Amino acid sequence: MLEANGLMVFYENMLALNNVHLRCKKEEIVGVFGANSAGKSTLMYTLSGIMDDIRKKEAMAGGERITVLGEIKYLGREIGALKPSKRAREGIILCPERRRIFRESSVMENLRIGGYLSTAAQASETIDYVFSLFPALKNLRKRIGGFLSGGEQQMLAIGRALMAQPKLLLLDEPLLGLSPLMQATLVRSTRVIRDQRKISLIVTEQYARPVLPIVDYAFILENGTAVLEGNREELMGNPDVRAAYFGVN
Amino acid sequence: MSSTHRRKERIDRGIKVRTDGLYALMSWRELSYLTVPRLVLILGILALPIVMPGMYWQKVITIVCIYAMLAIGFDFLAHYVGLVSLGGAFFIGTGGYIAAILNSSYGLPPLLTIPIATILGAAICTLLLLPCLPLRGVYFAIVTLMYPLVLARIIEALDVLGGTDGIMGVDSFASSWVEQYLAVTMVLIFLFGLRRLVNTDIGLVFRAVKDNDQAVRASGMNISYYKAVAVFIASAMGCLAGACLVHIYMWAGISLFALDFSIIPIAATVIGGGGTIVGPVLGCLILVPISELLREFGTLRIVFYSLILVGFIVFRSEGIMVFGERKYHQFQRWVRV
Repeated sequence: MLEANGLMVFYENMLALNNVHLRCKKEEIVGVFGANSAGKSTLMYTLSGIMDDIRKKEAMAGGERITVLGEIKYLGREIGALKPSKRAREGIILCPERRRIFRESSVMENLRIGGYLSTAAQASETIDYVFSLFPALKNLRKRIGGFLSGGEQQMLAIGRALMAQPKLLLLDEPLLGLSPLMQATLVRSTRVIRDQRKISLIVTEQYARPVLPIVDYAFILENGTAVLEGNREELMGNPDVRAAYFGVN
Repeated sequence: MSSTHRRKERIDRGIKVRTDGLYALMSWRELSYLTVPRLVLILGILALPIVMPGMYWQKVITIVCIYAMLAIGFDFLAHYVGLVSLGGAFFIGTGGYIAAILNSSYGLPPLLTIPIATILGAAICTLLLLPCLPLRGVYFAIVTLMYPLVLARIIEALDVLGGTDGIMGVDSFASSWVEQYLAVTMVLIFLFGLRRLVNTDIGLVFRAVKDNDQAVRASGMNISYYKAVAVFIASAMGCLAGACLVHIYMWAGISLFALDFSIIPIAATVIGGGGTIVGPVLGCLILVPISELLREFGTLRIVFYSLILVGFIVFRSEGIMVFGERKYHQFQRWVRV
């Protein structure tokens, strides 16, 4: 489905992503794990094309020069030159880090904004689906986004991303700052989304343990380099990885 | 695959790295790397009144300096304290009228009226702006924009302070050299003074207020107080400029509250490069003479003016100074990755 080869991203002279190869097959959940500054968010921005936007803004304001190299193939097509809006139309939807919901719009409005690309029928179907997936949101539909709790905001952010009818959903640190209970709920619903909507997902997370049960394949980033990859069993078998990312000895 | 790729690398010049610490100056070359740009600016500005042909262009230089003081103040408020001020006209008007009243009604000489107008005017401006300082957002800009309009209408409607005729017969400076060099040296003093100020402790607090005022408040500091200090500094510069302007024109009228004084500093900051303090001065040095040159086109000059501004915003929103600094400190080369 998605294949990235030799991705390199430079922030000025700092190497944020170093020759990363990443694959995501159809209806697969791929995990990307790494500490802070490992390049997870950079990877997500690069895949969704936001990096292109950031690069242009920085260039105009005379800030950092960002260089993006490498190729990204999506459904057999090279999309490296595609604008983020075009990529979204192709079905690559990013659910950004720290949720970035529209704080001054209500839950319902947030979802509708997310449904900009879908037809009316798709939109109403997806809204129903989001409410069945996250029943907690159903009672909050009039609530202003900024007044939601962290977990509710994350549900809303995922719901909003689903409204755009993704084929490949990029979840950037969906569990950031949430309680273990909420984390478990979200992880469960992530798998449900994959099974019911038949989409592929790429999930980044710092701490791999909560997400690991649902990922089919995972990459481990360290300082911008993909140091290790493998399926669940392979990663669990590696003692270094177990200690560093799963917290078990 | 990636070995065929190249990217353009931007790195600091060796001499920049060596001269970053003051203790590392080893040669005349390194010394001049630091001092020449500053000396060029100082000597260049000081020489301007001498090299200008004729009275007319010498007057233009004085006006450039008046605008430069406003632009420095705008840049300081906008990029170091986070207050977008449209109050150039307000500061000029307050300082100008105070100087004119002191001179014409109480007979004080310019030597006294200018300092008094600076301090008193800045105090009045700060007091009047105090209510909107705790607010974040666009309110400060709106209030600073409204005050000059309000004051001009009050003077016009109530016919106080000379009404629409203005206050005439204000003393001029002893000679045109005094007025020019007063303006020029004041610009230089403010320029280097502010550059120093923003790197002191209080400058750090100012920048912190801009970045995250709630965090500053959480650190136990009163943001309104620090904003008031910053507004006092900026309005003092504006009031001084206004007082000088009144003595140059020998007249104070409601055109001191003209919007030009609010808009041109902003345009100069955009062109010169915000956040550099020097940039706005360069911007004024470019913009004000251009607007004089275009005077023969009448009101059409506003069109040229706007085009220049739009061009800068679209193509070089960083500004001349930021661009130049980068070229001076860094070089580029292609590298293979």
